[in-house]
Amino acid sequence: MSPFDEQLRELIPRLRRFALSLTRHSSNADDLVQTCLERALASVASKRPEGDLRAWLFTILYRQFVDNHRRSRRYARMLEFFTGRDDTQPSTERTVIAQSTLQAFERLGTEQRALLLWVSVEGMSYQQVADILEVPIGTVMSRLSRARQALRQLSEGEITRPALRRLK
Amino acid sequence: MITTPPSERDLHAYVDYALSEAERHQVEQYLQANPEVAARVQAWQRDAQVLRTTLQQSLQQPENPALDPVAIRQRLHRQSRRQWATAAVLLIAVSIGGVGGWQARQITQGSAGLPMTDALAAHRMFALQGFLPADYKVQQSNDMQGWIDGYFNQAERLPDLSGAGFRPVSGRLLTTDQGGAAMVLYENGQGQHISFYIRPPGPQNNLLPRGSRRDGDLQADYWSGPGYNYAMVGPADGPTTELLETGHNL
Repeated sequence: MSPFDEQLRELIPRLRRFALSLTRHSSNADDLVQTCLERALASVASKRPEGDLRAWLFTILYRQFVDNHRRSRRYARMLEFFTGRDDTQPSTERTVIAQSTLQAFERLGTEQRALLLWVSVEGMSYQQVADILEVPIGTVMSRLSRARQALRQLSEGEITRPALRRLK
Repeated sequence: MITTPPSERDLHAYVDYALSEAERHQVEQYLQANPEVAARVQAWQRDAQVLRTTLQQSLQQPENPALDPVAIRQRLHRQSRRQWATAAVLLIAVSIGGVGGWQARQITQGSAGLPMTDALAAHRMFALQGFLPADYKVQQSNDMQGWIDGYFNQAERLPDLSGAGFRPVSGRLLTTDQGGAAMVLYENGQGQHISFYIRPPGPQNNLLPRGSRRDGDLQADYWSGPGYNYAMVGPADGPTTELLETGHNL
């Protein structure tokens, strides 16, 4: 086994965790990790980064996910067009108050989940995150700030459930 | 460099240990004096801590052997071999019969060298040596045009060579590196053959000026028309060029 394979193998649990936080589904997550590893292994050695292998793999995996997601959203919109309804976002689920931080986390948008995982859990620098998302570092900081706010609000249950509130 | 009082961003940088020692100290002093802000910052720190602990569990998933780099390398290797296998099948499809190996090569490398070499090679294989059954045989006079139109979009009409006694009898589909090609075989009462050949100009869009050339005992006339390159191939001593002109004028 090559040293590169060895390094990859060590990072697999973290890639799986990241993929799981994006897809929320373990078999989808492993599919995503597999595609990511295939790309990494198929890439020419000269194109591999000298520095942080983890950040590079996160970039591949994240872009792949966003790409798939866009495609399936397009498909969902098409379905909606033909069937006249939107099956992707059941409104009841969106308004349920989170019982825990983890539940609140899972209700955040894709980029916010990725941001919090990279910064708070993986301990990556703002610069690394800025490189992955291809945005200026200041943008990373303001998006991070919004993500933390959103997580707070969701876990404190500040989002009320107007549909379920009883009026007497 | 952080501001006084610390900005929202500075507070997040504090939570993420992205400040220098001096800056950290400065923020801590500010937080001591401002308990409301301190409570917010502590909540962020708590959230981060909770995420770290809860997400720690998903590092302990049961192993998935499909994700092992060695397994993935093997799979990638097999995939590329399979692609080659598919390519080989196409080549074998035109070289069945054993003799056609080199000619099949010429067909698949149609763009190399002289114009429409693939049309000549196809004529030799299918009209003169007669191997491989036709993909399509004419039942009625207009069938052939319909068959061609099924594969090529708004291509030139098949020339009418009936004045010289030649009628379309069969069609064959071929694969070349320039794209899918078709050859229509014309036959007269004496069993002589002329073929009409059509294929896309290829990825480089190699359009041809009208021309003709002799290749051994065959004569090829070639030109580019709407969307495709065309050739007529027939015996060198035959009247292919004249036929073509009269055929198009009809």
